[in-house]
Order: sequence, then structure tokens, then C-alpha cells
Amino acid sequence: MEKILTKKSFPQWVKKLSLYKIYAPVRDNDICNLEAIDNPESIDLDCSNTVLSPKKIIFPQREIYLEFETSDENKLQVKEILPEETPSVIFGVRPCDAKALTLTDKVFSGDFKDPYYWKRRNSTTLIGLACNIPPSPNCFCLSVGGSPHSKEGLDILMTDLGDKYFVESLSEKGSTLINLAKPLFQQPKAADKKAVEKTQAEAEKKIVRQIKDIKKIPSILENMFDSPLWDKESLSCLRCGICTYLCPTCHCFDINDEVSSSSPVKGKRVRTWDNCQFPDFTMHSSGHNPRPDRSSRLRQRILHKFQYFVELYKDYQCTGCGRCISKCPVGIDIIEVLDKVSDYGS
Amino acid sequence: MVNLEDLKNEAHKLLKEGTVKYIIGYERGTNGLLPIPAFIKNPEDVERLIWDPTCVFNLTRFLVDEKRRKASEKEPDERPVGVIVKGCDSRALVVLLQEKFINRDDVYILGVSCEEAGVLDEKKLAKTLKGKKAKNIEFTKNDNFVVMTEDGKTEISAKEILAERCLECKANFPVIYDILLGEKVKRKSDKPFGSLEKFESLSKEERWTFWKEQLDKCIRCYACRSVCPMCYCDECVADTINFAVTADTTAEEKAQKIKWAEKSPVTSENFVYHLVRAIHLAGRCIDCGECERVCPLDIPLRLLNKKLEKEAKELFDYEVGFDPDQPSLVSSFKDEDPEDFIR
Ligand code: SF4
Ligand code: SF4
Ligand code: SF4
Repeated sequence: MEKILTKKSFPQWVKKLSLYKIYAPVRDNDICNLEAIDNPESIDLDCSNTVLSPKKIIFPQREIYLEFETSDENKLQVKEILPEETPSVIFGVRPCDAKALTLTDKVFSGDFKDPYYWKRRNSTTLIGLACNIPPSPNCFCLSVGGSPHSKEGLDILMTDLGDKYFVESLSEKGSTLINLAKPLFQQPKAADKKAVEKTQAEAEKKIVRQIKDIKKIPSILENMFDSPLWDKESLSCLRCGICTYLCPTCHCFDINDEVSSSSPVKGKRVRTWDNCQFPDFTMHSSGHNPRPDRSSRLRQRILHKFQYFVELYKDYQCTGCGRCISKCPVGIDIIEVLDKVSDYGS
Repeated sequence: MVNLEDLKNEAHKLLKEGTVKYIIGYERGTNGLLPIPAFIKNPEDVERLIWDPTCVFNLTRFLVDEKRRKASEKEPDERPVGVIVKGCDSRALVVLLQEKFINRDDVYILGVSCEEAGVLDEKKLAKTLKGKKAKNIEFTKNDNFVVMTEDGKTEISAKEILAERCLECKANFPVIYDILLGEKVKRKSDKPFGSLEKFESLSKEERWTFWKEQLDKCIRCYACRSVCPMCYCDECVADTINFAVTADTTAEEKAQKIKWAEKSPVTSENFVYHLVRAIHLAGRCIDCGECERVCPLDIPLRLLNKKLEKEAKELFDYEVGFDPDQPSLVSSFKDEDPEDFIR
């Protein structure tokens, strides 16, 4: 289904979706965050890409698995906690972030379908916004199989045409949202479709950053485990969690028991994000750490994304959003590292 | 004015003569104007060095890495490491020396003076340029920066785009050095605790609301800790494993260790992390502003540190980072120290 929605009517559409919990980009001084909103006027679709991607909603940083408590007879009682299935809509999803969810889908499926992830995933509708202008100077989606107007993983794609949006429904979930506010939408004219095509072609030209030889990278990496490159490229790495926590595709987690009382024993088992750049990520209980230094940790980040993930799922675990480049405190640049990997192979 | 060629020449000489094993400086990176730390070993590579108002990092942070690396080497190279420091960075070095974390003989200090300017705040610059991209930026006299964009040169008043800390800088030239480039001149019209004014006018309740809102945003990426030259502890209360485990540590010992802060990014745990960090920086933070710069969520961390700096000044007349022989704030005692806050 293809429709036209004027920018003026956009807030009215959002209002019509009152049965859903709405998330959208909002501006907070110099940055943009994805937040739950009540007022459609607070939505800022002109935002640069949000600090955190929709990952923070579908795979939240903290998830409670269960609650436990000892009874009077000193018996342990355990109560499973599952997230409520709140129908939600996320506006302003960038194509790279939608693609990222399709990658995380693979991880949380397989032999075991993670109920926490899928409950949130299935109850969320993703409304994308094509990037007419790259939302970050470090965007490189074209290098990793994406594009600024890719529809992959989205339920609706909106393209900004000046005073209106071209709204394309891509799934049943998407059509439902449009049908809830039918009178607001018009039929597109031939000129509108032309305008979309033109905007899309121009958008691609505006993406300046690219990886040199991405196709060859997975096989080159196979022989680079012991390369001195990792040492060199990671010299300034601070071992913080920015590149991984902000990455829409990074999905590692930790499970801890948070005990709030010791007698009677009471607490929660929670899962929280974890990441391979923290020194204690691979720490064994013996004190041995198989990834003891920054060089082995940078290697892990690159190999996981561009070798292991490709072997497992036939896709890169990177969608070119550019966040890890833009926000790295010391300017470690994944494109540069990968270009050096290609040089290494030739 | 600091001449980049002079800096390169000095660096070249030090490397060529083998006085230092390598030099930590700034070079151009690939993420816009943000430089990257350069670790230069070969004399000819000094050509990569830059010095301009984009050189925000506090490079003394990498001396912490160097110390660890050296400790792990069997036959370490005993020569000092050269490091380029601004005024604020040099004060960080003073603290590291004062705490005997670093030996004076292990560093060769190339001081550069910010003279009447300082370094820029990327976000302020982006706002001022309204979408235009800066290609190059230089200091001039008359308190201005010359910014090159695709539309040519523009002059912007330093005040508009200087990092907040530079506007409050106590001495924008190095206080300790082996070589000094540039002059020991200080910016005029500085307000040492200017950024606190608005914050201090808030009531207790308003402050609580403010900090709760700010710290609830924290995702505990620990970039603020990791970038800080003062956060050099091997074991941090914020980590899941916050004590040294060896093959000899018994299960019982492990079970008895206290977990100070849970990994969950919730109000209580975020406050534990940030308050522990703030208190541990009292009398140590030299206001290089790196924690605030790197925070992806834009949490105004400088405010916390600045407030403690002010308390140290007012209560104990303590100023950090000027004298490596001065006893440290929290481990020293004077008869005239006020006690009225101990109840
Ligand atoms: S690796 Fe970097 S560029 Fe790729 S998806 Fe993750 S954050 Fe984005
Ligand atoms: S705080 Fe002072 S010394 Fe540091 S960069 Fe700013 S002006 Fe220079
Ligand atoms: S850098 Fe910001 S988000 Fe990261 S831990 Fe520090 S305050 Fe929290």
C-alpha cells in the first residue's frame, strides 16, 4: 500500500494510535534520543540518528527473568517474569537500525527462541524514515548491503518529500496503522512516485564513507587471528563500552542475581547488556582471562562482526550506522580498520 | 604563539637522539575534525603531529597504559616517554606524580601553552556553523579562532566555541614541563567556577530532580571512567569482578566479596557509581573535562567534579595540580582544618 500524508496531518496520525505505546526520536539539546512520548509535537523526525537504536526497546538494557524469595519454611519460591506484550510503535526508525533488528532476530531464534526478545519484537511496529540526507557523517550502509531507503525489517517506510511524506506499507502490521487513520492519507500521484525515486537516487550519492573491499574481508580475516594489526589499531582504545553498547547489532548480555535481602533471601535474576570491550567480559573464575588486552578485544569485535557472524548467518553483523565511529572517544574507526585488513590481504 | 614546526623539531630531536622511547601527541583522524592520539616512534613520523584547538584529549591518560605495559615487560626499555601536555593535562600529570603513580624520570614533558585561547567544544562549533563542516581551525591573536569551511574562512570569537572548562581555566599553560612551547599568558575574564552558578542556585529538591533525570540516562558504558587519567585503579567498585582473582583465590573468598554496584542501569546503581567516582576525584580532578566530552548521553559530569573542587578550595584552601610535593587532600590533615561538617 502506498499513500501520501501531509506533514501537517502527521501529528493527527500519531494521535489516532492511542492504543499503542509510541516511541520516537526527541531532541535533548545537542543529541537525539529514542523515547516514549505522549505528545506528537515532541517528535523530531529531522533528528540525526538517535544515540541508541531501537535495540534499547526490543532488547532493553535490563530485563528481569525471575523473582525469588525464601518462604517461612525456608523453601525457595521462584516466580517467572515475562515482559508484558504492550503493542508499541517506533517512529523514525532508520533503515540501518531496522536491518540491525533482522540480524538480532537470527541470534535470538535458532534452537531456542528467546521469549523476552520475541514478546517485545512481535508487539512492536517499526515505522522507518528514509535518509534523504545521511543522519551521520559516518554512515556507510551501502558498503554492508543496506541503503538509505532500504525496506528490510520495516513495517512502513516514510520518505520525506518536503511538505509531505510518501508512506509505504510493507506488512500487515503497517497497513493496520494506516487504516486506523484512513481519511488522513491520500493516493499518491505519478509525480510523487517520481519524486521518491529521485530523492532516493540522490540520497545514495550523499553517502561519502565506504569500506574498500568488503567482499574479501571475511576470508582475509580467517588468517588474521595472530596479526600484529590488532595491537597497532587498538593502541589508544580505552576499553569503554561505547562502540558496543551503541551498536544496533551488538547483543551480548550478562545474567546476575540482584539480592535485595539476605534473610529471608529475596531478589531478582536480571539480564543486562554486556560487552566484549570490558576487561571482565571473559574473566574466568580462576582469574585467567583469555582476552586479556585491548588488542584481543578489538580483534573480537571485528572478527565477530565480519567473520564469525558471516559464517553463522551469511551476513555482516554491521549495518553501517556509523555510531561506533562518531562516538568513539579516541577516534577508532571501523572503516579504517577494515581497510587496513584489506591491505593486509593484498 | 605555538609554532607546530617547533614542536615537530623538538619531537624529532628527542626521538633521533634516543632521549625518549616514543612520543604521545595528536594527529588527524578520520572522524571529522576530531584528532586521534598519536604514538610516534620514528623520527620521520613527527610529520604526523598536529597542534590546534581541536587537540582536546588529555594524553596523560596513556601514561597509565604505559605504566601497565612496562610492568608486564621482562626487559623494559627504561627511557622516558614523551608526552604533549596542555595546561590542564600538565596538572593531571602533577597529580599522578604527587600520588607517586608515575615517576618524574619516566616522562619527558613537552608543554604547549593554550596562551589566550584553549580548545574547542565540538558541539558548540557545530551549532555555530549550522551544518557547515569545518575543515581546519586555527588560533589567532585577538581571542578569535579562524575556521575554514567549504564557504571559506570565518572568524569566530573564541568564547563562543571554547570548551566550558577553558573558559574557567586556572592556568592555560603547563605548570610542569621539560620543554615549553608558547608563552605563559593567561586568558582574561575567566570565572573559575562560572558553570556552578546556575546549579548552586537550585534548591535541594531541584538538584535531586536534576541529577535523577541526568543519571537515569547513564548506560554505564564507563567511558567517563576509562578516559580519566585519575581513574587508574586496577580494581573498580563498579566492575562485576571488583577484586583481583588469582588461581589461589578460594571459592569462599570470592563469595565473601561485596558487590558494590549492580550492573543494572537503574537510579540506585547509577548513583552509587557516579557518587563513588565523584568522591574519589575530590582533590584529584584537574578539570580536563574529558569525562563530559566522551559521555554519549551528554550527562554534565563536570558539574559534580567542579563542585567538589570548589568545596576543597573553600573548606581546605586546597588547589589541585600545581605542586607535586603538596600532600594530597584526602590523605593529609592540618590542625586548622574545619570539622563542623563532621557530626
Ligand atoms: S559496528 Fe559500528 S557502524 Fe556497524 S552497526 Fe555497529 S555501531 Fe553501526
Ligand atoms: S582547560 Fe586550560 S589548559 Fe586545558 S585546554 Fe582549556 S585552556 Fe588549555
Ligand atoms: S560516559 Fe556517560 S553514559 Fe557512559 S558511564 Fe559515564 S555517565 Fe554513564
